Parts: sequence; structure tokens; C-alpha cells
Amino acid sequence: MALDNDTLKELYRNMVTVRLLEKRVERLVTAARIPCSGHFGTGQEAVGVGICGPLRSDDYLFGTHRGFAEYIGKGMAPAEILCEYYGKATSLSRGRLGQHLLKVDVGIMPLPSSLGSEFGMSVGAALSSKLRRSGQVTVNLFGEGTAGQADFGPALEMASLWQLPLVFVCNNNQYVELAHYRNVVATEDIAPRAGGYGVPYEIVDGNDITLVYDATERAVSRARNGEGPMLLEFKTYRRGTHYTGDPGGYQPREEIAAWEKKDPIDRCRDRMMAEGFWAETDEQAMRETIEAEIEAAVQFAEESPYPDPATVTENIYAQGGDKS
Amino acid sequence: MSHRRITFIQAVREAFQEEMRRDERVFILGQDVRAGIFGTTSKLVGEFGEDRVINTPICESASVGAAVGAAMTGLRPVVQIMFGDFNYLAMEITANQAGQWHYLSDGALKVPMVIETPSGARGGAGYGHSQSLEAAFILPPGLKVAVPSTPYDAKGLLKSAIRDDNPVLFFEHRRLLTQRGHVPEEEYLIPLGQADIKREGKDVTLVALSATVQKALSAAERLSQQGIEVEVIDPRTLVPLDKETIFKSLQKTYHLVVVEEGRRRGGFGAELTAIAAEEWFDTLDAPVQRLGTISAPLPYSPVLEAACIPSEDDIVRAVLRSLGQEE
Repeated sequence: MALDNDTLKELYRNMVTVRLLEKRVERLVTAARIPCSGHFGTGQEAVGVGICGPLRSDDYLFGTHRGFAEYIGKGMAPAEILCEYYGKATSLSRGRLGQHLLKVDVGIMPLPSSLGSEFGMSVGAALSSKLRRSGQVTVNLFGEGTAGQADFGPALEMASLWQLPLVFVCNNNQYVELAHYRNVVATEDIAPRAGGYGVPYEIVDGNDITLVYDATERAVSRARNGEGPMLLEFKTYRRGTHYTGDPGGYQPREEIAAWEKKDPIDRCRDRMMAEGFWAETDEQAMRETIEAEIEAAVQFAEESPYPDPATVTENIYAQGGDKS
Repeated sequence: MSHRRITFIQAVREAFQEEMRRDERVFILGQDVRAGIFGTTSKLVGEFGEDRVINTPICESASVGAAVGAAMTGLRPVVQIMFGDFNYLAMEITANQAGQWHYLSDGALKVPMVIETPSGARGGAGYGHSQSLEAAFILPPGLKVAVPSTPYDAKGLLKSAIRDDNPVLFFEHRRLLTQRGHVPEEEYLIPLGQADIKREGKDVTLVALSATVQKALSAAERLSQQGIEVEVIDPRTLVPLDKETIFKSLQKTYHLVVVEEGRRRGGFGAELTAIAAEEWFDTLDAPVQRLGTISAPLPYSPVLEAACIPSEDDIVRAVLRSLGQEE
């Protein structure tokens, strides 16, 4: 199933939404309107948005802590994200999750603070859909730094051993926290590690959303057809710092500039314009709509009440709370 | 009413069989569960097939993680950790993930799963194969903890654990596994959070867990010959804890002794003693006596191992101390 123009427009809109929303939330974090810090992903939006393109709404996604790309891509609304960041009663978790975005009814699964703890869980979700014969695919998105976590290898092993409908996606943005990844990652590519477990892999340009979509589409169809897991590594670049407040300075300016020229949003727009199905007027109208949606979401989150402290012990256990 | 006597292992296996027949969402995974190294899961693969009795690679954390993921997506897994000590390998997943996502998702996710884990000192297994770590699971939120002391309790509690919508740690003391006890043919369940009075008495309330229940009962028999009647209470689950049954007993005896094979420092006894000091102060006529394993790595030599763990003699002495009758 090739990427059609309407789908590309939708993916493009999602990337722009992510970019604008991240910038807005960054300002809210800096202004201390939001209590947490933020981890943003300017320049890498094509990966998170693109991998969600070929997914069904009931497919499972285990995402990352960085930015909103896969969350917007899988069907979270800006207002839902903002209410979580504000910790308001109107958030899906009623103020319990903050940055750990979750929306179970569109398949957005837990994001553990301890990155990499989702590897086993994604194996379990994929095993479950296989045993239940539900046809669902699980996508586990992680960074090249998280590939160092202990459960990465065993997850590949289990997925391969049991031929699970599981697609591992490495978002290689080249920075692990405050240093270039080669300070802490022994190899340039993560993907060949999958080969050691008998899991096929591809390394793809992560700044071209059409390539991200196509590669994911291939891996997801394979998984859905019962042909087992795959690992995709998308090469991209984190143009911002690790977190809001990180003074940065460890990324060479020329490096950032070089990657700005490969910006995934610019590339997508140029392509759509060159192919004649996107015009400057479309661009302007779309941005106005998105900005209005974001401002309405900020206002909604700002005006929403905080949760009632009396709810703090609710739902500790299924069917009940616990005050001890 | 039958008077069938079966082993702890058979009781656990029957619980698995009955629950797997009853609910096709129940499945078992873990290292060598098809063969069943301690026998609790042996032969299940013949009846239920390889899809429902799954041997895992040697990685406790990813195996428990897989159980969490399967539990969140509609199944009811039982994951076996071959030795209690190895729970620390999966502690991040159990403590930070399994027990927390129901709350964090405000109920959108449920994590109905059981961690079945043979544990405890059996003499000669040495460090790394002998610890009783149940108290370590009182601290993280969202978990339940079962510590059965008889085949009857094991079967009834395991069936409830499998049907529970929360993650439940199910500890099987290895010294109990081959012991026989009365288990009726008829189906029954034991609710999580209901203590059992294993012996009635009016002088001292002795709370004991898992394999120490038997030592407590033997100690109670000896003390009875001296005219001291000990009430032995087995809480059966640490979380939820049936405080009511213990408190009722204290209102009769005014003396509390607690014994466990887990380490004394920061253990279940510490928690129960704190509860007693806070809530039951008026029903205590003497300081609480608290017995547990010393805070040393468990040594290999059976003589050294025995020196670390509370014995029947230690329990007798603790009861006498509680009554102000120490030698």
C-alpha cells in the first residue's frame, strides 16, 4: 500500500502540529506554567509521526520520552497532552502521569520512566495479540541509548523465538542525554544487533517521512502476516538539548546547521509543493488552524482544575484504593 | 467431605489445572516450566499445549515484563521465577511497572498476573538460592503478596491470585513443597487478605509466615506442656493484611510475637510491630518479640545456615520472653 497524497498531507500536518506544540510547551515549561521539565525532539518528527502512519488504531505503541511525534501520530490530541503536562483533573490520567503519555484506547501503551523497561512489556503485548489471534501489531520505539538496557537483547530473542508481531524501531538521533552517542554506544549502527537474534533489520533515512512510512509499512505487514519481528533503525538528529534547561553547547554548530538543511518538515513540504498538491495558501491556512487549536488547548489546560487531593488513593488496586 | 492428602506441589498444580481449564486467558511462562523444575507446572504442557506453557530464555526481567505486557492486553499470565532470590533481577519491572500502571492509568490498564516463586532455605542451597524475600514486596505500591504455609492454603490462595485483577507475588517455601496436607476434592477459594488461626490459645499471639508456621506450631505444643497456650496466626497474605484477626487475638492475649524466615531488619515483623505500636498499644502488656533471619548473606554450610534462621527453640524463647519468663 503506497503512501497516497492525502495520507502524506495528514502526516505532514501531524509533524507541524508536533513542532509547534513542542515549541509552545517548551515556553510553558520555561515560564514555569508546567511543573515538569520537557524533552523535545525538534528535527526528528518524521520518525514518530511516520511509524504511526501504517498502524491500526488497535495496534500497540510503546513510545519514547522525547517529544510528541508518536503520541500525536497515534491519536493523542494537543489538549490531552497539555492537561497531562499541567497535571490537571481533566487529563486522561487525572493528574497521575505528567510526561509519561498514555492513551490506552488508541493503543498508546506505558512509557516507563526507566527507559527500556518497556522491552519486555512490548514482547508481552505482541505475545498476547498472537495468542488471542487479534491481528494486532506492537511497535516498540526506543532511542539508540536505550538499546544499552538489559532487556533489549532478551526482547529480540523472545520476539524471534516466538515469531511475534513486533516491530522494534530505533530512533537514532545521535545524542544520548548530554553527549554524542558514540561516547556510550560502541557501534555506529544499532540495527545489526537484531541480526544476532535472527531478526531482520533495515537502516533508513529518518528525516524523509515517506521512507519512514514505507519501511514501517513493510515491517508491519510482515508482522501482521505472521512472519515475525523486524527492527528498523531510522537515522535522524536531535537539534535541541536533552531537556529544557539543559544549556547545551555539546553539539557542534556546523552539525546542527547541516541537519537543519535536512529538516523533515521542510523536505516533506518541498516535495508536496513540487508534486503540485500543496500550496503556500494551504500552508498558511493549516498553520493558523493548528496554532488556534494549540492556543485553545493551552487555555483549556490552564483553566482546568487540579485533581481533588481526596482522589489520591483511588485505583491503587483494581477495585479499590489503599491508604496504608 | 473427602480426606484426601496431597503434596504442596500437587495442590499448586491442581490450582493451575483448574484455573487454566476455567479461563483460556490463563497461561504460564518461565524458565523450564514445561518440565517444571520443582514440579508445580510439570505435565501442564500435555493438557494445555505449548502456547499456554511457555519456556522463556534466561532473563527474569524480560519474562516478568512480558507477563506485564500480556496482562495489560487481555491475558492472565503466571510467570515463574525459579528461585525467590532471582526476583531482584526483575524488581524494576515488578515494583516500578507491574504494581503501578493501574493507578497511573487511572484504571485504564489492569495488570492481572501472578509471579510464582519457590523460595526459602532448605539446607545446603547456599547464598542466592535460599532467601525469603516476601517482605521486599510490601514496600512497592499496587502489589499483593501471598505466603502459603500448607497445601490447602496454597491451592485456595493461588486460585484467588490468578483470578485477581492485580499483580500477586506467590511465594512457595521449598521446604514445604513435598509436604502433604488435607486438600478436598471439591473446588474452593481462599480470599486474599484473610488470616487463618492455625492454633487457638489464650496467652500469646504468635504470628508466623510460610515455613515458620510449622515451627511455631511445634513450639506451641512444647509450651502447652508448660501450661502456656499460644495462638498461632498465619496471615497468609502480607498485602492485603488481615489486621482484624491479629487484633482480635491480641485483645485476648495481650502479648505479640512475630516470626518470619525473611530478614528481621526491615521485615514483615518490623511492619507488624509498627502497626502494633501505633494501633494496638493498649492491648500490649509486654514489648513485641520479633524473630527473623539475621542480616548476613545466607551461608552454605547447613550448620551456618541454621544459625541465621529462627528455630523452634528461638520461638519458644521469644514466647517466654514476651511473658517475662526467660530462663
